[in-house]
Amino acid sequence: MLVVENLVVRYGPVAAVKGIDLAVGENEMVSLLGANGAGKSTTLLAIAGAIRPHSGRILFDGADITGMKAEKAVAAGIAMVPETRDVFADLTVRENLLLGGFIHRRRRAACEQEMESLMTMFPVLRERMHQPGGTLSGGEQQQLVIARAMMARPRLLLLDEPSLGLAPLIVNHIFELIERLRRTGIAILLVEQNATKALQAADRAYVMSLGTIAMSGTGAEVAGSSDLESIYLGRSG
Amino acid sequence: MNRHLVTLICITLPVVLLVIAAELIDDRLLTRLATTLCINMILVLGLQIFTGNSGILSFAHIGFMGIGAYTSAVITMPARLKSMALPELYPIMQGVQLDPLVGMAIGGVVAALVAAIVAYPLMRLSDAAAVITSFALLMILHTIMVHWSEVTNGPRTLFGIVEATTLQLAAAAAVVAAIGAYWFKESRVGILLRAVRNDEVAAAAIGAHIPLLRWRAYVLSAFYAGIGGALWAHFITSFSPNAFYLRETFVILGMLVIGGPATVSGAVFGVFSVTAVFEGLRALEKAINAADLFSSTVVGLTEIILALVMLIVLILRPGGIIERNEFGTLARWPFMKKQNSSRGE
Amino acid sequence: MDVGTILQFTLDVLNLGSLYALMALGLVVIYGILKLVNFAYGELVMVAGYTLYLLNGSPLPWLIMALVAVCMAVIGGITTDLVAFRPVRANSLTAMLITSFAFSTLLQNAALLFISPRARNVPLPEIFTQSVTMLGVIIPVRNLITIASAFILLGAFTLVMKRTVLGMALRAAASNFTMARMVGIPANFIITVAFAISGLFAGVVAMLWLGRIGAVVPGIGLEPLLVAFIACVIGGMRSLVGAVVGGYLLALIDVSFNYALPPDLLSFRDAFTFTMVIVILLLRPSGLIKGPDTGKRT
Repeated sequence: MLVVENLVVRYGPVAAVKGIDLAVGENEMVSLLGANGAGKSTTLLAIAGAIRPHSGRILFDGADITGMKAEKAVAAGIAMVPETRDVFADLTVRENLLLGGFIHRRRRAACEQEMESLMTMFPVLRERMHQPGGTLSGGEQQQLVIARAMMARPRLLLLDEPSLGLAPLIVNHIFELIERLRRTGIAILLVEQNATKALQAADRAYVMSLGTIAMSGTGAEVAGSSDLESIYLGRSG
Repeated sequence: MNRHLVTLICITLPVVLLVIAAELIDDRLLTRLATTLCINMILVLGLQIFTGNSGILSFAHIGFMGIGAYTSAVITMPARLKSMALPELYPIMQGVQLDPLVGMAIGGVVAALVAAIVAYPLMRLSDAAAVITSFALLMILHTIMVHWSEVTNGPRTLFGIVEATTLQLAAAAAVVAAIGAYWFKESRVGILLRAVRNDEVAAAAIGAHIPLLRWRAYVLSAFYAGIGGALWAHFITSFSPNAFYLRETFVILGMLVIGGPATVSGAVFGVFSVTAVFEGLRALEKAINAADLFSSTVVGLTEIILALVMLIVLILRPGGIIERNEFGTLARWPFMKKQNSSRGE
Repeated sequence: MDVGTILQFTLDVLNLGSLYALMALGLVVIYGILKLVNFAYGELVMVAGYTLYLLNGSPLPWLIMALVAVCMAVIGGITTDLVAFRPVRANSLTAMLITSFAFSTLLQNAALLFISPRARNVPLPEIFTQSVTMLGVIIPVRNLITIASAFILLGAFTLVMKRTVLGMALRAAASNFTMARMVGIPANFIITVAFAISGLFAGVVAMLWLGRIGAVVPGIGLEPLLVAFIACVIGGMRSLVGAVVGGYLLALIDVSFNYALPPDLLSFRDAFTFTMVIVILLLRPSGLIKGPDTGKRT
């Protein structure tokens, strides 16, 4: 479904992503691992259209979406949950969710229905319905951002570090939720530093190091590899 | 010959040529035009020193020009004229009558002093807050000029100012100003400031005290504005506070933005090119009015064209016409090739 | 102080504050999203003013003329976006500031060139010159109209911002523009809408402002711009509520100065208010009312 070919992303003179290839299939869960600064988030932002790649191609369902604007990418079926966990802080939870469905705003009833079913999956959001998003706890905000992304009814969900800064118990809960989302039939590309968790959940995984793909394989293969640790520590040679 | 020398020649030679041309042709209008150009060049270079190096837009610049102009005008005015031009002047100042050159220097220093005092706390602001405060500062300076009638004659025109600015004086000042601006840009402070503009965090990390750096540029910039204002005062010999307001700000800013704020070459180029276009249009406006083509007089055409040029330049070349490289590195001089290649860039 | 004076004072503050609040909102709607001071904002007031002047003598009823004038301000706002901002938005903030300044000069001089440097009277309905007497205080009806229009417009605006998806999208864009795009809110569209709203406020302000001064000149936009500017800084540049509060507060300060200060100090009033602007920006950069938290964690 998603194919990335020889993607290069530069910040001024610095190349953060130096020509990577990766793919995500229908209803597949793919993890993208790597140490800080390996270029994972940048890759995700480029796919979501938030930053413009320097070169390379991004194909979604065979259509070239390279350099597409972020808002067009959402309409194409790609939703992004950024690492910065950007809830609209002064908007209520309900308003946040409604905006998640912005591209479907003309079908208000369908939006309400979608919101209702997401509430069942994220019951805590129902309790917080009319509270400003900024007043939620970290774990609740993470759930809100994921639910908001789901409101767009994407076919590919990009998740950037959903476990960042959360207590272990909450991390477990978030991963359960991700698993359940996946069972609804969407594909997920997950960026994580928490390698153990991410590898357990994933069908396949890529490991990035210093802007390149250092290793790839099924979740179990990568988890079993003896090189994993050294790649993380940047000694991949 | 190194690139600094080439740049210095390129930014000063046009002024020298202009003076020679004006002397040879000896046309009163041309001389006046050349003098105005030199004064504008000092003002634009002053703005370039701050805005160009720090990357922060400043609207208050023209206010400091006003300070320089009023200061020098008042302290050089003959005593017999003072009682007429400034009837409300404080008695202690009525006897003061300095030589115009001394007056101009003091005008520049006073502008720099005022800037040094009011601007220090403002220098830690960046982006929108910095622009808003500089705009507010212009408004404050303007309000004071309009209402401090003891010194400025209020909103009315102040007349009777000693005529002292010759083309040679203005040109000499412009040449010195150009060299000074380039020297500042290449000085330690200038280089650090430009580093700050590109990356505030990194520059702070290497120990650059950002507000202090900006402050130095600001004070020097205000000094330029003060000198420019004083020269202008002794050239035009009568003016009102409205001369130091948004319209003048727009012209000076326009010259800098079109030429290229980040380089001294750009500032100089902007002054010459905009003045040329401006005067051409002004002449056209006059011709149209003289020919009585329209029922009413044509005004504002010049500003409209300047605004359009600014918009187009900013859309097509956001950094101005001379964006990054000074003349010295811009031109590929045959005798410099060796140096360039040996620097390995 | 007798009841009459208090009534007079209150109405003065409310009248001026209503105008100021509308002016400030029009400016802050743009600032919230683009972080940009639109220097061409005052010229939207001018556009509406000249439209009304050009419609002078037409057989239309005044309200229709006013409506057309407001629409022209809205169109002017959208044009500002298309001409001065969209082409340079990818560049620096400074570039946008300069283009807005250039566009402002462009419009002003176009009015100079094509209409006249002199003041032009605009048509006004009878009611703007009438007045009523209450508790011994003569109250011009136009002041009451100003207050009422402001309340209606502010109420309607609040409803739109709170209840409609478009309003939410505007607030979201002001809170975190990048994220707003990532949920599918188109950047160009939302910015154009913000400019249209800004134009709407400018248009209404123009009608009420002209009701007070009766004539339009090319430089008419400067004062509304400056007032909006100060009110926004006082109230908080990033908050819509702040802009309204700032507007009324500035009116309170201005009117109090008018009542209390001796005339020779009064002429320095603007210097005082602008000094206040600088002090507020230094000590409390977010203004009295803090804007939306960006919600960013990193």
